[in-house]
Amino acid sequence: MRSLEYAVRRGIFTVVTVFLAVTLNFFLFRALPGSAVSNLARVPDSSPELQHALTVRFGLDRSEWDQYVLYLKNLLHGDLGVSFTYQRPVSHLLLSDLQNTVLLAGAGTLGAIALGVLSGVVAAWRRSSALDHLNTSLAILTYSFPAQWLGLVLLIVFAGVLPAGGMSDQFLFQSPPFWRHAADVAAHMALPAATLILTAYGGYTLVVRSSMLETLGQDYVLTARAKGLPDRRIVWRHAARNAMLPMVTMVALDLGFVVGGAVLVEVIFSWPGIGMATYTALSQRDYPMVQGCLLILTVSVILLNFLADLLCFRLDRRVTA
Amino acid sequence: MSLLECVDLHVWFDLPHGGRVHAVNGVGFALDPGERFGLVGESGCGKSTTILALMGLLPSSATVSGRVLLNGADILAGGEDSVRRHRWRDIAMVFQGAMNALNPVKTVGWQIAEPMAYHGTARGARARARVGELLELVGIPASAADRYPHEFSGGMRQRLSIAMALACEPKILLADEPTTALDVMVQAQILELLTRLTGELGMALVLVTHDLPVVSQVCDRAAVMYAGEKVEDGPAERLGLAARHPYTRLLFAATPDLYGEERLATIPGSPPRLDAEITGCPFRPRCDVPTDRCADEHPALRPAGPGHQAACFRNEPQEPM
Repeated sequence: MRSLEYAVRRGIFTVVTVFLAVTLNFFLFRALPGSAVSNLARVPDSSPELQHALTVRFGLDRSEWDQYVLYLKNLLHGDLGVSFTYQRPVSHLLLSDLQNTVLLAGAGTLGAIALGVLSGVVAAWRRSSALDHLNTSLAILTYSFPAQWLGLVLLIVFAGVLPAGGMSDQFLFQSPPFWRHAADVAAHMALPAATLILTAYGGYTLVVRSSMLETLGQDYVLTARAKGLPDRRIVWRHAARNAMLPMVTMVALDLGFVVGGAVLVEVIFSWPGIGMATYTALSQRDYPMVQGCLLILTVSVILLNFLADLLCFRLDRRVTA
Repeated sequence: MSLLECVDLHVWFDLPHGGRVHAVNGVGFALDPGERFGLVGESGCGKSTTILALMGLLPSSATVSGRVLLNGADILAGGEDSVRRHRWRDIAMVFQGAMNALNPVKTVGWQIAEPMAYHGTARGARARARVGELLELVGIPASAADRYPHEFSGGMRQRLSIAMALACEPKILLADEPTTALDVMVQAQILELLTRLTGELGMALVLVTHDLPVVSQVCDRAAVMYAGEKVEDGPAERLGLAARHPYTRLLFAATPDLYGEERLATIPGSPPRLDAEITGCPFRPRCDVPTDRCADEHPALRPAGPGHQAACFRNEPQEPM
């Protein structure tokens, strides 16, 4: 009963936040200098008439308030508008981009979490050993690499061995068998995913390590040892479970940002995801497209936070409000 | 043969910046089945360290020497793997921090049942039934098994710790200041519970405390520790009425008396540092009746009556105290 009440309260909060984000999203890009029309019309001899015709067609001649109301109404119908550049519905364009991003970001984040948790727990358990020092230094080092720099370095080193860009081999004709396609995508994903994993796992390592050290000093860990439990069980079932609580929120926040925020990595590796789409749309002043990208980013951050709240509540019953 | 015998136990702690603390210095005692034994002394005298050493639970910065014989077999000799089998199965423990000795993210029933499964005393439905019995035994309704530790008060949590300690029907219960964090009424209830349970279950009890009235109330025998050494050992009522070591006598004199009118007696000074070996009697600087020999000679434990010994030169026959 208490859990239902908690979920509903967090749910209402989430809906309000999404609405605020959507509103901000709309006005933010209207404040940008430049216009879609001047860009598209950057052709020889574009007449003022042509520019005017385009402005009317995109609805940019109406008042901002009218544009906003229309935007909200369309949004409720799942209509994100039509891309100025591609002349196709934004929702269709972004849906395939989102799938690609989720694949890459998912692999990158899950890999980083797995590596971070494992190395953090081991470093804490073998505290002050050579393994701990090596582990922690490596984590700090990789965590401080800028993703775009590491991406370029990996490109330079591995470009001959692994595919350097794109998501699949253009020359795999005639719908190859599934496994062949999957292997191809995996090979293309190797470098961008490695970049994401390497630049993110160190943060998890440090958080998990310090959280574990704190937890290992708790009385209930001594109780667990006194019970005669084996080390492995003490570390994972008693200590790690408690040490993971701060991780859940961190992971949710990161996931949200990775969905829309792996812009640089996606651009470097020409990965056709949301980040790439954001970059392209921004440089072309494609308002509906940028709005769509930002919408996906903000809504995923908010929704994943909502999920993290619910998960925290599930994991630790002391959590209230 | 005694149930548990601790022979010439020494514990040293390595300090982080070099040097060692001799925390427990040649402590020995024997425990018979069903006996209630008190271990008394002020903070830092090594009483908690002693009982943690009995279960091999000291951190890796500690060096332990001496023997701990359970039914005549040395349980520490075989290292971690051999002592682990005896933990909770033969020797269980109730910790000082009633608040934190339970894992906050597991139900109390789960935590009580955990060692049963691990030591193979009960599983599944039988373990659940046993959890219910144990909870009833310490005065908590069996239905509380599905609740989390934070839903209980301090006194209730200490009852839960006791129920948990009884899970595998240990022969010996070590209780490390089990009532320190509790108010007086709850203290009395917990002590009564411990006394009743040891009687009913035929379990031996080692009660670590700095509270002398508690010892006379609960224990058959007691040892007094000072600066890592055992200075006196005997039947609990004799320690109160006919102490043969000045420290014991002063300690009893420093206990508040509900009907006493006089100012409370204190022992001036503070215990010696333990990071260098002490020459002479460690209590000499604070003693009210020092002799000439105390500065240079270390007094050994000598008989002072039936089942009674004390480490004081005045305890020797020619110099009655």
